[in-house]
Amino acid sequence: MQRTRSMISIIMLVLLLAGCAGTQSRNTDPENDPWEGYNRKVYAFNEGMDKVVRPIAVGYDKIMPDPLQRGVGNFFRNLDAVVTYVNLVLQGKFRESADTFGRFFINSTAGLLGFIDVASKLGIPFYNEDLGQTMATWGYDDSRYLMLPFFGPSTFRDGTGRLADSFYHPVGRAIHGYGKWGMLIFRGIDTRARYLDQDAELESAYDPYVLMRDVWMQNRRYQIYDGDPPMLDYDLYLEDDYAPEEPATSDKQ
Amino acid sequence: MKLKVLLILVFVLFFSNGLFAQTQADDPVSLVERITGQIFTDVTENLDEYTANPEALEDLVRNDLMPLLDINYSARLILGRAGRGLPKEKIDEFATCMTNLLINRYSKSLLHFSSKIKLQVLPQRGDLNPKLTRVRTRISLPEGGEAPVDYAFHKTPEGWKAFDVVVEGISYVTTYRNQIMPEVQANGIDSVIERLSTGQMQLAE
Repeated sequence: MQRTRSMISIIMLVLLLAGCAGTQSRNTDPENDPWEGYNRKVYAFNEGMDKVVRPIAVGYDKIMPDPLQRGVGNFFRNLDAVVTYVNLVLQGKFRESADTFGRFFINSTAGLLGFIDVASKLGIPFYNEDLGQTMATWGYDDSRYLMLPFFGPSTFRDGTGRLADSFYHPVGRAIHGYGKWGMLIFRGIDTRARYLDQDAELESAYDPYVLMRDVWMQNRRYQIYDGDPPMLDYDLYLEDDYAPEEPATSDKQ
Repeated sequence: MKLKVLLILVFVLFFSNGLFAQTQADDPVSLVERITGQIFTDVTENLDEYTANPEALEDLVRNDLMPLLDINYSARLILGRAGRGLPKEKIDEFATCMTNLLINRYSKSLLHFSSKIKLQVLPQRGDLNPKLTRVRTRISLPEGGEAPVDYAFHKTPEGWKAFDVVVEGISYVTTYRNQIMPEVQANGIDSVIERLSTGQMQLAE
């Protein structure tokens, strides 16, 4: 309980910092990213962390044979089913939640604790949900971008959702002191290793911070709409005054 | 007997060919099916040759793909406000640079994956919008799972043309717009073209 409280105070501190971030110099997307000054600081912090994490991830990627690494990915993905299941129920998607339950059961048993994705071979569909997506479907569909220390891109809504989900996520529970830190760190390294291919692109970008934000925000929207978002309004891109020079303050929460 | 069979065969072939020509529709879904099918078959059949000579593959991709693309429209969308007042030649030059990068990248991934992946073009949903539509495709990856790749098409006087690729919800136009528009505004179009053509900027997937 003590650890939970300290976790909450860290979150409060992060939010407080975010609230003070009114003096930023840059504002590339005032509508979606009103906390850009703060977010860029956290981004720089994460980049610093990456100087340590990346070499470990590179080593891990080299040592691990591909099939084993795939197995590890399957294992963690299978544990996510717990969060997906709860949130499918919260969204009223009962057929999908039944599928997810079946998938978790089969992969945890026949799939040897999830290392082998038997359910996919049997044609059971895969879903990915979390509380952030649930809140989005409940009507909280726009939220300001929030860069989380260690965990990376998020929004205010999704960061809150993530914290709530972590109380019962088999691996995420570690941050509240109920689970194994080792697992959480292992997952972090495994996840980092999966993004190694993208490093060169990020580095060569004109503004890596903006690239990461764009890619994450677009992909998130895609997840929220379960892979079928409405088509972009390309006409807006041709209009002269699409991106306002003197933006008003964001009304997003 | 043999002759009869042969005649029937010729007739069937001829007829089906004629039928094919007639139904060779120019709606976006058929276009994507036809062109990607064409490219995939060619690459799988001549994989060794293309591995030895990647430039030949780039030429093939360029020949097959270019008639399908509206590269100037993509360029205008990417440049946005930064493209206002630029001479037409500059926009053309920029569009060509972006397309070269795209074709280069596409050819490279074809060489890597064409023998291992399967491409599925999903049917048009509902009625075809007369001006703007998207074609949804699914690429099954060698390690399992699927990557959704959508193409945005719009109707031009020369027929349907693609102007955006969207991979897992991430739009090529949107992503590059947010990188390139500020860069053009800060450093000018020439510097950006220079950076693009010397390969200092890589294309995100």
